[in-house]
Amino acid sequence: MGPEAFVYPFLFLALYFESFLLVTFLSKPARERRLATTPLGNPPRVAIVVPCWDEESTVAGTVESLLALDYPADKLSLILVNDGSTDGTGSTLDRFASHPQITALHKENGGKHTAMNLGIAHAKDAELIGFLDADSFVAPDALKEIVAAFTPGTMAVTASMSIHEPKTLMQRMQYAEYTLGIIFRHAFASINSLYVTPGPFSFYHREVFVQLGLFKHAHLAEDMEMAMRMQRAGLSIGNAIRARVYTKGPPTVGTLIKQRVRWTTGFLRNVLFDYRDLLGNTRNAALGFLILPLGLIAIGSGIFIFGLGLYQLGASVLHALSLAQTVPLSYTFSFHNMNWFYLPITLITMLGAALTLGTFAWMVLGKQLSGTPGKLTLNIIVYLLFYGIVAPLWLIRSVSDVAFATRTAWR
Amino acid sequence: MPLFLRNSLIALGIALLITGTVVYAINYLNNARIAELTAIEDQLSVDTLSLDTQFSLLESAPCDSVASSTTLVSSLADLGNRLASAEGQLGADNAQVVRLKQQYSLLEIRDYLITKQIAAVCRTRPVTVLYFYSNAGDCSDCDKAGYALSYLRNTYPALRVYSFDYNLELGALSTFVTVNKVKGPLPAFVINGKRSNGFTSLDELEKRFPKGALATSTPAEK
Repeated sequence: MGPEAFVYPFLFLALYFESFLLVTFLSKPARERRLATTPLGNPPRVAIVVPCWDEESTVAGTVESLLALDYPADKLSLILVNDGSTDGTGSTLDRFASHPQITALHKENGGKHTAMNLGIAHAKDAELIGFLDADSFVAPDALKEIVAAFTPGTMAVTASMSIHEPKTLMQRMQYAEYTLGIIFRHAFASINSLYVTPGPFSFYHREVFVQLGLFKHAHLAEDMEMAMRMQRAGLSIGNAIRARVYTKGPPTVGTLIKQRVRWTTGFLRNVLFDYRDLLGNTRNAALGFLILPLGLIAIGSGIFIFGLGLYQLGASVLHALSLAQTVPLSYTFSFHNMNWFYLPITLITMLGAALTLGTFAWMVLGKQLSGTPGKLTLNIIVYLLFYGIVAPLWLIRSVSDVAFATRTAWR
Repeated sequence: MPLFLRNSLIALGIALLITGTVVYAINYLNNARIAELTAIEDQLSVDTLSLDTQFSLLESAPCDSVASSTTLVSSLADLGNRLASAEGQLGADNAQVVRLKQQYSLLEIRDYLITKQIAAVCRTRPVTVLYFYSNAGDCSDCDKAGYALSYLRNTYPALRVYSFDYNLELGALSTFVTVNKVKGPLPAFVINGKRSNGFTSLDELEKRFPKGALATSTPAEK
């Protein structure tokens, strides 16, 4: 039995996950969440906190997109918190300070969670408190969609994120990846299995902070920690699939890996150390028996399959080079055996192809249902070419950082 | 039944159904591969028997059949390639693959013997290579030797290369090995009756051929 035999369980689990996603997507709770949004009768008071740290190039656009939100001005306040920026972020925020809806605050640098908590402290009259990273922008109707998704019992609502104007290869790859994330979030929310309320445009009932307390450092994953704290307390987290928020994706391999190492180590440290009780928790079986365990397995399998693929590719290349040196190159590069008989149709290639096609279908659906603008086809090709190579790099680094207790930096 | 449990069970059913369908489709395809190999072998078997029968009827070599004999050897080469591919996909231990390899080896031996008879009577001078390899992991140069021979066969279509799995359990093959006094280490070659072992390079292999043998083997048009 070769090492590739270990790929079969992972492939089956991935197939099972996609099947579960399909069934959940077609189930009544998810179908109801896709119904047209009903107009808000009496819109609640909302405060949106924008924590900023050295975001001078994007924060003005972020604030302008918030000011353009289609929501009663007397019910919406914006709290901009400068967390000790060393660039021109502070003066940019001050430019907006005179606006009647805006409060601009400046503080010593203390980390994102401290900026968010200061914002909460200043959002005294808001029923709903939301957050928007200072490198993100919202669609005008996003807040109405979010507020409408606060059905009775829902204590937090997440949005549908996509990449803002993808230009580089890495941004294009993320664009496709985010459309997949839209579907995941939508389906997981319908069975209350979200374990992260992302920085871009997640909203909470004020009651959440009263009941559970404020944000914590949480291994630089304060949004994940808060969601897990809510899950532990049995509070429900929803999703508004048509609430579009656009975020600047890291443009290079280096910056992307840095961001994802922060996310992945945050996930591992929170799940394995601080919220281990959520694993196998029968009170939320979907999260405890499927979503979180599969999240951990996905990290392990991603590294294993990458390692195995690299080893087999290396061996094949060396073998091919060794053969190619035996005879003239013209023979090696001529076409032999072009016949169906020689097609490499195996269980691994066929299941892999089925999973890939399924993933693409979810991406198309995520884009369509959320109304995300942009062209997906080219970005899916970039995703197909690069994701399998780049993602394992941050997975390996993350596992190594957690295993050796290496401190993770924000940037 | 709770929603999560219901969805989990349905998802398990779907995943099993898809996996089962894929397994069935691959099995169907592999059977089609085996069927194609069997069909080719059957045809070759008929062609070989036909040539053999002509021999008996005329009580001498049918010298006008040299051309058809040349076609036979190229069909044998194609079958050999397909068998190697099937062996790679289905495994060397697959019973059907082993049976097909045995039949293939018999066809090769038969063709080799007929070629020798035709050469003796019709005064032709075919260049024949008996190549003995092993897939048991004890022949590190067999892949390279096989690839070099594929190149030579492709370049000189009249070259008659007969490949044999040294470890294949087949009485006729054991006798053939004994008659030709083939011994390890592998790869082992018998080029126009001359034995040699090992493989280092294409140039070195070409030097083992009788002088001018490859030149007279009609190079393929480029």
